[in-house]
Amino acid sequence: MKRELITALSLTATVLVVAYISTLGGGLGPLFSDTRPLAKVFLSTTLDPNKPMFTAMSPEGVTAIVWDYRGLDTLFETAVFYLAIIGAVAVYRDVSEKVVLKGGGVGLSKIVKLVTKLLIPMNIAIAISIALHGHLTPGGGFQAGAAMAVVPMILIVVFSRYFLLEVKISKGLALALRSIGLIGIAFTVFLPIIIALISGVNSYIMQNQVKFGAPFSFPAFFGDSLISGSLILYNLFELLAVTFGFSILFLLLSIEESLVKEQMGGEGSEH
Amino acid sequence: MRLIKMVPVAALTFAVYIIFSGSVSTYDLILGSVVAVFSGYLTAELLISDSGKALSLRRFAWLVFYGIYYLTVAEFKAHVDVIKRIIHPKMPINPGIVRAPYNVGNDYSVVTVACSITNTPGTVVVHLDEGSKNYYVHWIDVKAPDPKTTYENIVKDFEKYVKKIFE
Repeated sequence: MKRELITALSLTATVLVVAYISTLGGGLGPLFSDTRPLAKVFLSTTLDPNKPMFTAMSPEGVTAIVWDYRGLDTLFETAVFYLAIIGAVAVYRDVSEKVVLKGGGVGLSKIVKLVTKLLIPMNIAIAISIALHGHLTPGGGFQAGAAMAVVPMILIVVFSRYFLLEVKISKGLALALRSIGLIGIAFTVFLPIIIALISGVNSYIMQNQVKFGAPFSFPAFFGDSLISGSLILYNLFELLAVTFGFSILFLLLSIEESLVKEQMGGEGSEH
Repeated sequence: MRLIKMVPVAALTFAVYIIFSGSVSTYDLILGSVVAVFSGYLTAELLISDSGKALSLRRFAWLVFYGIYYLTVAEFKAHVDVIKRIIHPKMPINPGIVRAPYNVGNDYSVVTVACSITNTPGTVVVHLDEGSKNYYVHWIDVKAPDPKTTYENIVKDFEKYVKKIFE
């Protein structure tokens, strides 16, 4: 009883102290007052054709920051995420997903299966919509990829992993499509430099709009529609890469433990 | 063949894309169509087995009619019944799980009837036995457990319309 009282009191105290510091104490800067100077910079430049050297030509400040203002940071974050997936692939390198256990692959009831099937095209539509509007509304490539990765995930849960094998969604295919996504991102990163080299001007890596001394610029509009230059490309390729990055993990994690042990075995049983 | 099967799936995808995007700009209409064709191509074989049925206007009209009938008449009757039981001081319930046979064949019919039963208050499909063609339904007021009574009370109304839509 005494112990629980102390726990409850200390938790309450922690919450109160953190709340005080972060709001009234001004630890994170004043709330309910003017926008902070750093935010003002981004808000006033993110979509302003009159400031061509500073703008990202996207009304979505977060995407503009993530893929333009501090794009390199995101690029390396992406690299870290894919290294983690490569790690998983390396751990499972000796395990074949093609092996089928006896009596496997029944799945859930007909009701769940049919409703799930109906959700798949809608899920695809929503995920791609999130990616295609990443430069306009909250969301973007990663969020879209996470939404899209729901498709293989629910297929594994509802139909079993053997269903994915039947429709030819394998680890190899997922790896290939993920690589296409990554190559697309890399291509978009280097495209300004390639074009600059050909046309004999300067440019920066990951450049989106015109910068001082570097006249290259991705088109901000397609017809009348705002596409925000490189941002839409990054979002689309990230969608591809994240979708299949997650798919690889789901495919690997759904392999039966007994199969994994059997195929990787040896060492564990000898000791 | 796959192209015709794609049409209903692509239409569904396109509708979802436009509603979710909340915009009918040229950008969204064009990209929405591309996404619809792509997604239709991928999932048509999974969803559609008879494209003639899927594109039949008569069946679609029945689907719309059934949707309206279900959401107004069927839901209203079931709600009134359950509300009565809730506010009645004696709470007259007689719950139990009964076996209710069904006479429809294809997946869409079986699932639509099952979901219709579950979504009306008072009845829930807890199990589906495809071998003997029976739903196992949790019923708030078991009148009698024999198949004839359960079929008449639980399944018949829905099945009548669902047969016209999907069979």
